Amino acid sequence: MSTKPAANGRDFPDILAGGVLIFLGALGLWAGRDLTYGTPAMMGPGFLPKSLCAIIALIGAIVLIKALSKPHEALDAVNLKPLLILVAAIAGFAFAAERFGFVAATIWLLVVGSLADPESRWKEIFISTAVLTTAGALLFVYGLGVQMPIWPF
Amino acid sequence: MAFLDVLMLGFSEALTPTNLMFCFIGALLGTLIGVLPGIGPTATVAILLPVTFFLPPLGALIMLAGIFYGAQYGGSTTAILVNLPGEASAVVTAIDGYQMARKGRAGAALAIAALGSFFAGTVATIALAIAGPTLSAFALSFGPAEYVALCIFGLLAATILAHGSVVKAIGMVCLGLVLGMVGIDVNSGSARMTFGSTELYDGIDFVVIAVGLFGIAEIATNLESKEIRGVLQSKIGRLWPTREEFKDSWAAVLRGTGVGTILGVLPGGGATLSAFSAYSVEKRISKTPEKFGHGAIAGVAGPEAANNAGAQASFIPLLTLGIPSNSIMAMMLGAMTIHGITPGPSVIQNQPELFWGLVASMWLGNAMLLVINLPLIGLWVKLLQIPYRLMYPAILLFCCVGVYSVSNRGFDVALVILFGILGYVLRKARCEPGPLLLGFVLGPLLETNLRRAMLLSQGDWLVFFERPISAFLLVITAAMLLTLILPTIRKNRKAAFEASED
Repeated sequence: MSTKPAANGRDFPDILAGGVLIFLGALGLWAGRDLTYGTPAMMGPGFLPKSLCAIIALIGAIVLIKALSKPHEALDAVNLKPLLILVAAIAGFAFAAERFGFVAATIWLLVVGSLADPESRWKEIFISTAVLTTAGALLFVYGLGVQMPIWPF
Repeated sequence: MAFLDVLMLGFSEALTPTNLMFCFIGALLGTLIGVLPGIGPTATVAILLPVTFFLPPLGALIMLAGIFYGAQYGGSTTAILVNLPGEASAVVTAIDGYQMARKGRAGAALAIAALGSFFAGTVATIALAIAGPTLSAFALSFGPAEYVALCIFGLLAATILAHGSVVKAIGMVCLGLVLGMVGIDVNSGSARMTFGSTELYDGIDFVVIAVGLFGIAEIATNLESKEIRGVLQSKIGRLWPTREEFKDSWAAVLRGTGVGTILGVLPGGGATLSAFSAYSVEKRISKTPEKFGHGAIAGVAGPEAANNAGAQASFIPLLTLGIPSNSIMAMMLGAMTIHGITPGPSVIQNQPELFWGLVASMWLGNAMLLVINLPLIGLWVKLLQIPYRLMYPAILLFCCVGVYSVSNRGFDVALVILFGILGYVLRKARCEPGPLLLGFVLGPLLETNLRRAMLLSQGDWLVFFERPISAFLLVITAAMLLTLILPTIRKNRKAAFEASED
């Protein structure tokens, strides 16, 4: 909570929130541009999505405009590195799961994912990956019957 | 006695060896993960949700409920022992609980928390058993207009009672509603907002959103900053509270139970709001308010009873009306839908064994928590020392495999990335993702009934005010929104939440 009364204040979390809402509302309106709107009595498939997206964008605009005159509020420290590493790890898993099987996908996920924490040590990563991959294969694929090949071949 | 009959039915369902086992596993897993810092009950339920797909419906619900109240209780343990509330509802427990631990009375605080929770759980379960049939019989007469009004009431009330900005929360609800409409429209057959991807024709799966917003985003935020570690008070002390401590806490437990049971039923209520309210009630009523913040046992007993009662009571609107009151109940609704159960008034009538089995198992689960928690406290303390870097890869694996298993495709895992990023950005923007999830699960119900109601009324919006129940709900909703605009109430609401944050 860092509420400092500044003369020229701006509520940055709210500016971000407003921006995100406007963007998503506009994205939804664009994605649903071909849907028929219909009438209240005979609502088309686009009736609610379009109305709601318009409301989302409107709310975004309200939040954004109000944020400009609110007392200063800083964004929390942003450190994108862990997020980006996690994205890479999960994307690899998503790509590999069906093609190369559980073992390959999981090793990628765990090794790359572990790098997201700067405190990780290679020895620990190695051991935990081995344990989790084995336990995961037994629990999920054999135990619960998740439909995923185990080996790439 | 019809009441006894159904209770017998419930216990005969809940006491089968497999269901007892699911209940035990759920409570144990919940406690285990609740104790680990950095994962709240919502994330816990989201991560373990896919595992329960492989179980029979009742078993799955029993286990999920067990995970939920286990996590709830586990969070209090860390709050007391290391001043790290595992989840929001345990924040107030940490205030006096940790002070007690510093004075060597951690054992008593834990025991009172456990006994108070058990008592509160019992009362709230009875409330559910009594309110269930009455409310659902009433709800059976609901037509489309009433359901629309109920959805709007539920969604807006949840945003008003929740933490943070109401305007942003309403934006989140709308976003959730839109996400719930992605896919083939059942009425017209046209693909809506699928961006041309056939994989999205069936809509976005609930698990994808829950795991992305609550699981992945939480890991990313936790890894951002250095790990916060509490200082463990090595001595837990004698478990059994003294006569004095009992005397100071039993009334607080009763009041907490009352507060929690009532607030838990409200949309947006549940454990957190109940705990905060109970704490302020105790502080106001107490003859020695100066003791609060320095290890007053009533400050542990009241909120602990309240958060458990609130957690339990929040099942009432879900099981009787089909309207979830907070994000965890939204997940229960998701789980029920996946098992082909439509939560709502018809469940008690058509599947009484399910409803009463769940009710009975909640009570059994609460009893199990006593057994799991008090004697095993040493084990939980050890778990607290596991560093996050060893823990989160396992959570990550659970998330990914869980999402994959929903329809056995990598596409859903890729989709999780998008929701993980969205969840991360929303956290930075201080938008609570809970209302989004509520909107998402209620979207289809709202849309179907809105279309039906408007078709029947031939496009006349006044239909919602011509039917008494729907008019009543909408008037209350409007009144709640109005009070928010009034400056004095807005200030009070803000003060109440800010006081709870310090």
